[in-house]
Amino acid sequence: MSETREIRTDYLARVEGEGAMLVRVRGGQLEEVQFKIFEPPRFFEALLRGRQFTEAPDITARICGICPIAYMASSAAAMEQVGGVELTPQLQALRRLIYCGEWIESHVLHVAMLHAPDFLGYDGAIELARDRRDLVELALRLKKLGNELMRVIGGREVHPVNFRVGGFYRAPTAAELSALVPELEWAREAGRELVRWTAGFDFPDYERDYAFVSLRHPGEYPIERGRIVSSTGLDISVDEYEEHFTETHVERSNALHSTLAGVGAYLVGPLARYALNYDELSDAAKEAAEEAGLGPVVRNPFRSIVVRAVETVYAADEALRIIAAYERPREPAVACVPRAGSGHGCTEAPRGICWHRYRIDGEGTILDAKIVPPTSQNQKTIEEDLVGVVEGSLDLGDAELAHRCEQTIRNYDPCISCATHFLRFSVERL
Amino acid sequence: MHLVRDAFSPLQRGAPLRTAAVCLGSPFRGDDAVGPAVAGRLRAAGATVLDCADEPTRLLDLWDGLDTLVVVDAVRSAAPPGTIHRVDARGGPLARELGLASTHAMGIADALELGRALGRAPRRVVVVGVEGASFGMGETMSPAVVAALETLVAAALEELEREETPCTSGH
Repeated sequence: MSETREIRTDYLARVEGEGAMLVRVRGGQLEEVQFKIFEPPRFFEALLRGRQFTEAPDITARICGICPIAYMASSAAAMEQVGGVELTPQLQALRRLIYCGEWIESHVLHVAMLHAPDFLGYDGAIELARDRRDLVELALRLKKLGNELMRVIGGREVHPVNFRVGGFYRAPTAAELSALVPELEWAREAGRELVRWTAGFDFPDYERDYAFVSLRHPGEYPIERGRIVSSTGLDISVDEYEEHFTETHVERSNALHSTLAGVGAYLVGPLARYALNYDELSDAAKEAAEEAGLGPVVRNPFRSIVVRAVETVYAADEALRIIAAYERPREPAVACVPRAGSGHGCTEAPRGICWHRYRIDGEGTILDAKIVPPTSQNQKTIEEDLVGVVEGSLDLGDAELAHRCEQTIRNYDPCISCATHFLRFSVERL
Repeated sequence: MHLVRDAFSPLQRGAPLRTAAVCLGSPFRGDDAVGPAVAGRLRAAGATVLDCADEPTRLLDLWDGLDTLVVVDAVRSAAPPGTIHRVDARGGPLARELGLASTHAMGIADALELGRALGRAPRRVVVVGVEGASFGMGETMSPAVVAALETLVAAALEELEREETPCTSGH
């Protein structure tokens, strides 16, 4: 007897952008998973060629409406490397501070509005808001604070205009930053509330021995700088990325898979940062993690929602630390004069490392650009997760299985706004 | 009949009309660029245009209490490219199947519903859209959409300027 079942869901909500996914089950056995959720930002790489090196942050910021700072910071770091300049400590701190705002806004959007409904049986944030208005209001207030950090340092809430290669056009005054302190102190506690809430969810019993990849920098949890390290022993400068990581075109699904040499698929994002840098978390973040029952390594991808909440606590705590130590720099930027050569930049977007390489000529014209966002790196790992999750969930009904697959994909907070336009999701049982 | 309306923010009776537009879309993605193109023209005409960079929950505070919010976006339905759509969303949720051609974390329809659930929504929401033909990255707007641009701007301005008679309970 050959049982034939086919399920199609043409729309995957609550993932930024669109992509495509296929799960095929034949005779009760998983036959194939195809997952294509991301296309690299080749259009922007082409757009950058011929433009001035100083334009890279503003152009790449348009790749993602959720995490513009990740693209701005990575491209600026690459150009500063070409120019042979280093930010002053205060400018470095400001770059880290605006990045904290992006982490808070992005993480809270995902944790409360997009991912939590999966665990609670809601269709989305609207249904959640009807039952738990208090939590949705808390999330919106946190998001607003993240926005406010972006506005005070970046000049406006969306599409920051005050960010440049070498620093900023204008540095905020200490008073402007101090005004944010009471709300950040509230946010640190609100973040702990998010940790407690998410830690109480019912998590699918699923773990994998991931190859974690993240930045690491002495004395700080990685955000805007560091070397690239892995749980498999890698420890390289950002310049050496292409010697160890490759992107391969997958014929059957037309997807692009990133692999780490000698390892294969790897994971970037909160679980990797956390596992590789637990020792660098602040006391408040560690306490929140301990209270949630998290050890120093989390291998269940569904628990990434709790780690995101822990990182939200960290981002608020770190913003408070930076503001307490802030002295307004005399100059808002260091001068960066173009030199012919190549530069590399890598920072920790909320979803994981965002790597950039540029080649410019002596006039500062961009000759070549390469951008590897986090979601492209996670794509192969997501596909492997789907295989594991589906194999362990074939007893679920069609709707439940489709939902479990969506939840699995959302574990990675995939950013696909620069990808194909509409997600077509289907489960086939043949 | 007006249960949804009752969940809105209290009306500021007697206050001047407060209206704004939000124009969605990417300037780099074919007909999705129509939103940003309209935004520039509405601003030039003196209208208030809110910017959310593809994340409409950023607008919950900004549109709270507005009398009218006009949403401008490219639309994907079965209509011929260039067709102007006008959807009054006062009566209930915006149909998701309208297929607003956006790539947002949470679509504008969901964000508006969230606003209603939280009592933070505009009193009146009108979607003014144009049927798009292509949405490929790096493409320019299709001729049909370019031809419809001024009509779309005029339709948006008309909605922004429309005088609304207050809705009293019991209708």
